[in-house]
Amino acid sequence: MIKVNIKNNHIEIKGHAMYDDMGKDIVCAAVSTIVITTINAIIRFDKEAIKYEEKDGHISIDVLKDTNITNTLILNMIELLKELEKQYKKNIKINEEVL
Amino acid sequence: MPMLKLNIQLFAHKKGQGSTKNGRDSESKRLGAKAADGQFVTGGSIIYRQRGTRIYPGNNVGIGKDDTIFAKIDGIVKFERVGRDKKQASVYPREEM
Repeated sequence: MIKVNIKNNHIEIKGHAMYDDMGKDIVCAAVSTIVITTINAIIRFDKEAIKYEEKDGHISIDVLKDTNITNTLILNMIELLKELEKQYKKNIKINEEVL
Repeated sequence: MPMLKLNIQLFAHKKGQGSTKNGRDSESKRLGAKAADGQFVTGGSIIYRQRGTRIYPGNNVGIGKDDTIFAKIDGIVKFERVGRDKKQASVYPREEM
């Protein structure tokens, strides 16, 4: 199961969807695409807006600048992941901590 | 920060990574019939290997301590029904057939 932990400006996405084997895991493909598209889009606007770390099955994002574009894109990513969670409850779990 | 390469299987588990609790089996014991109905066998030949008495010993047939059914004399094997749901194996000398 992919776990998404959101704590204010720090977002962590880790784990394996376990929907199917590598190459056929559509949930993993969806999560990867949503997250990577968001990161690349933010960087295109402002290279310093976020900091991220990526390695097999684990991405963490730190929002460094509180800009309208960055916040909108991050919010959009979270909403899309939530929609995915509704359809694939066994494969993705979102945990939002508002401090 | 550099752009991320689009790896759409970033959160997929590698094939074979998952472990399975199955995958074990005991050595096959080659049970079952070793002589067919109507077949000539010599004394001492094994007719049926089994666990428990699926087949009961009939005429001229013995049963070993591991429930193996074997012929006591030379003759023709006969599988016979006993009662409603039991089977037995017998051996009859060729002359009697």
